[in-house]
Amino acid sequence: MEDNIYTPLNLNDIDDSIQEEIRTKCGIDVDLCLECGKCSGGCPNGHIFDYTPRKIVRLVKLGDKETLMTMDALWICLSCQLCLDRCPSGIDIPAILDYMREKACRGGVEASRPRVKLFHELLLSSIRERGRVSELDVVLKYNWKTGEYMKNARLGVKMLLKGKLNLSRSRVKETEEVRRLFEATIAKDLP
Amino acid sequence: MKQAGKKAMIIGGGPAGMEAALRIGQAGFESVLIEKEAALGGTILKLCSSFPRWESPLELVEEKIKQLKHCSYVKVMTETTVIESRTRHDGYSILLKLNNGDTTELDINAVVLATGFEMMDVSIYGEYGYGIYPDVMNSLEFETLLKAWGDGMGKTPQGVAFFKCVGSRDRSKGYPYCSKICCMYTAKQAGLVKDMFPNAKVYVFYMDYRASGKGYEEFVREVIEKKHVRYVRGRPAKVLPDGGRLLVRAEDTLIGIPIEVTVDVVVLASAAVPRQETAPLAAMFGTKTGEYGFLEQKRFSLARASNRVFFAGGCGFPVEAPFAQQQGASAAVEVIELFSQ
Amino acid sequence: MQTERVVNPEEKIPHIPKAVFLFRSCTGSLEYPGTESAVRETLKIFGINSVMNADQTCCSGYLLTCSVHKPEVSLAATARNLAIVEKTGLDTYTFCNGCYGYLSELSHILLYHSKYLAMANELIGRWGYRYEGRTTIYHIQEMWYRLKERIAAGVMRPLKGLRVAAHYGCHYLSRQYGIFDDGGYPTFHEELIESLGGTPVFYKERQLCCGYSVGRGFTHKEVLVQPHLHKKFKSAAEAGVQLMTTVCPGCNVALDREQPNLNKRYGETFNIPVIDLAQVIALALGVPISKLGFDANTVALDHILKILDYDKGI
Repeated sequence: MEDNIYTPLNLNDIDDSIQEEIRTKCGIDVDLCLECGKCSGGCPNGHIFDYTPRKIVRLVKLGDKETLMTMDALWICLSCQLCLDRCPSGIDIPAILDYMREKACRGGVEASRPRVKLFHELLLSSIRERGRVSELDVVLKYNWKTGEYMKNARLGVKMLLKGKLNLSRSRVKETEEVRRLFEATIAKDLP
Repeated sequence: MKQAGKKAMIIGGGPAGMEAALRIGQAGFESVLIEKEAALGGTILKLCSSFPRWESPLELVEEKIKQLKHCSYVKVMTETTVIESRTRHDGYSILLKLNNGDTTELDINAVVLATGFEMMDVSIYGEYGYGIYPDVMNSLEFETLLKAWGDGMGKTPQGVAFFKCVGSRDRSKGYPYCSKICCMYTAKQAGLVKDMFPNAKVYVFYMDYRASGKGYEEFVREVIEKKHVRYVRGRPAKVLPDGGRLLVRAEDTLIGIPIEVTVDVVVLASAAVPRQETAPLAAMFGTKTGEYGFLEQKRFSLARASNRVFFAGGCGFPVEAPFAQQQGASAAVEVIELFSQ
Repeated sequence: MQTERVVNPEEKIPHIPKAVFLFRSCTGSLEYPGTESAVRETLKIFGINSVMNADQTCCSGYLLTCSVHKPEVSLAATARNLAIVEKTGLDTYTFCNGCYGYLSELSHILLYHSKYLAMANELIGRWGYRYEGRTTIYHIQEMWYRLKERIAAGVMRPLKGLRVAAHYGCHYLSRQYGIFDDGGYPTFHEELIESLGGTPVFYKERQLCCGYSVGRGFTHKEVLVQPHLHKKFKSAAEAGVQLMTTVCPGCNVALDREQPNLNKRYGETFNIPVIDLAQVIALALGVPISKLGFDANTVALDHILKILDYDKGI
């Protein structure tokens, strides 16, 4: 890295493929971006993002696939949709991030926030197995996998006493259909 | 109906001057249109297309020339320059030099200056290499190259870079003002390059893009979104020779990283300054010019610089052709009002 | 519109003085004494006496940039040094971009802020010094360019088309006003080289900073400065540069002393000697090589002298 400090990005070498992918697969044309920054201005997490929404769109234009998949913003975006709502060009930044998240997972790129990724995976695998999110299942597995075994245990007991915790590991009747749905649409590399 | 004893002289045969001469003549007063070149039209003759409707400027000129011919009170004198002026109680006595070298005298009651603007000499920006590298040129020179490319001549470019605000918005080496028209004509030029050479990489380096006008914003968005010209925000720092091409160094200020790009042609959108003839002509008629050499109108007036001196078009401030015409018409209105007293 | 930006040499130096005060440079006089010697010898050829004074101190720019002391100390040091010059009634000539930059800036601050001038004069007054702003500060390269015709006429050992590249350094041309040439595309060094019979080379990174920047060469050598210099020398080598000239001993240190380190780190074979513009001029004007101090250079000049048939050492 040190030895590259004086090699600026050459615009002629920009890889257009990511912009094209997002145009064709997500239906989003980032050329419409006016670079006004209204998205970044409203983003609730903007001040923690390493790349604000406006910069994320710029990264797409600059063809910087690597940063898009490794950046922290990818995993701490709340999907609040404010940026999409405010954008005068209607650019769907949350959809871009969704796409990049999938791409990162498929590409085996390490998530900057592993817990967020873990949570997504646990939810999805619960749905795939049982057709619905089995809350107790997910929470226990999450605690186990993150090593925080007793997290929220007190809260769990309180909820149980108030009858707000479903102890049965419920499932839908046609789990086979749900599984087929998954096979048809989602990649096979989920746990 | 001809009004006796009232004659106006319009100096400069561009859109502003032509319109002023035409309107004065149509109102029944004599107008003499003086143009130093062999043909009427001024700067727009050099231009390839126009914004915001991609129309040919030559068509406008042809139409105006037809209208001028049609009006019997207008006299057009090309290849003519003004040498001297003597103030009289009701106007000026002018000494003109004609195309064959002869001189002639003319008595007038009002003068309209429409000498237009020209490009600033940007060789002061050594960092861009204007005057050093042949492929670095200002926007007006680039129009000539565009025409040559349109005719199939010249080398096919792989990459063209446009620099905006060269000399404008520059308190250090240039002028602090904004030259108004460059954002639009640069978008036009960039769009034309993409039309001619779809595979060429075209970059526009900007600080802002100012598209305030009817159809202007849509025009620039069309160039960016449909013609795929890449706009990069950042004023370039340097142009270096690199293996027969030109290397541009700048910062992409929107993401905050230094970038460079190699192109074949660099076009500098240079500051628009009043043409050299403006200051001596203004002095000839006892009129002051402003800080940057542009003519200034008297307070509450449209186009009056001093008693019998009016102006229109680029010599007052850079302006697009349609609005230069409007200013010409405004100057004509004030001349007519003067003559009708 | 700034028209005073570039100044005509004849305007800045209307008459060639009979004597000048030569301001010694910490790096120049100690690391490369040949530079100082070359300057004095060349001035002597043109009948200009160079007066020096052992009482002067370093311009203090180096320390100021590294924030070793409060800025007031540098102001006082500048006032004291220039007070010494004023006692001779001569103009100040420096041969270091750094000295030139700091003396000019600090003296400007003193003369335009009476509070600081009073403070400085009060301090130095305790030892009997007083700065009044009567001396003008020049860089010796301005004198070389002013004497361009006479230098060209006095060439005894033409450079035989040697490919020489100029390194202008940053602190002279990056100033806003009163410089000799266009900071964006300077050519006056190349003009001088051409008049000495050399072939000036405009390589791609010609105007790149040397990277040493007063202290960074010490604190961040591997991280910042070496990759930077590598870029510069690669570009110079590709353009076939044989010799490089500088007008700043600081730059000279960076470009000369780091070359073997670059070669070792990046596996290159750079062999471009770096000497001061004054040394090249002195060489061409026939000053004996023994007075040019080439022994102080890390990258030896032997092969250059051989190419020029000067290796007899006369």
